[in-house]
Amino acid sequence: MMTQSKGRGGAKVIPESSLSDELEPGLDRAIQERIGDHLRAMYDDLVQQPVPDRFVELLSRLEKRNDAVDK
Amino acid sequence: MTIEPELRDALLAAVPSLRAFAISLSGQVDRADDLVQDTLLRALSHIDRFERGTNLNAWLFTILRNLFHSEYRKRRREVEDADGSYAARLKVSPEQGARLDFEDFRTALAKLPPDQREALLLVGASGFSYEEAANICGCAVGTIKSRVNRARSRLAQLLAVDDVEDLGPDSMTRAALQAIG
Repeated sequence: MMTQSKGRGGAKVIPESSLSDELEPGLDRAIQERIGDHLRAMYDDLVQQPVPDRFVELLSRLEKRNDAVDK
Repeated sequence: MTIEPELRDALLAAVPSLRAFAISLSGQVDRADDLVQDTLLRALSHIDRFERGTNLNAWLFTILRNLFHSEYRKRRREVEDADGSYAARLKVSPEQGARLDFEDFRTALAKLPPDQREALLLVGASGFSYEEAANICGCAVGTIKSRVNRARSRLAQLLAVDDVEDLGPDSMTRAALQAIG
């Protein structure tokens, strides 16, 4: 039976009325906006890191090799 | 392998966003840099397949994403790489770009299924349209939309714990608390 307790003790059923209070659309939108802002801020923080030298070296090495070797 | 200065500059200019994507995908800076390097080399060796005038970044992201997934599948066979270890890796490298403010957020992001994380990063952070993200991932636009939506709801669950704490110790709150703590 679905309603049978499996001995999990403190599991509580949340009344539907309190759920609908929590899930008002305005709050949800605010949370979504905050998530979007946070995600972009975190990402921008990564984007703004200086480019490691290995990439500058790699690309200029390829450019030189192209001048020197016919491959 | 031809590399004109113009192309070199364009590739170099793409590196910061490629790195941000790779770090966010893999959760590991060293591995991300290897991925970016492989992406650049792959791009150069297939540069004839790139249509001039189209979005270079989108093309590079596609390459990086495919490399990540083939490597990820390979690694999965070698070592079981659960999402939990992704979170752990993020935690031990705070000096590598993860400011303390972002710690909770990155941990929550690490809890997302990889396909949802990827879709959210492309659309919500890298600034690609749903259509571009669908092209990059090789799937339908509707699939990207639903992945992004599910990613946002899941993040909201994980991050909005403070707002719903008074709901009581139901399983969802417990899971969210574990994810963040």
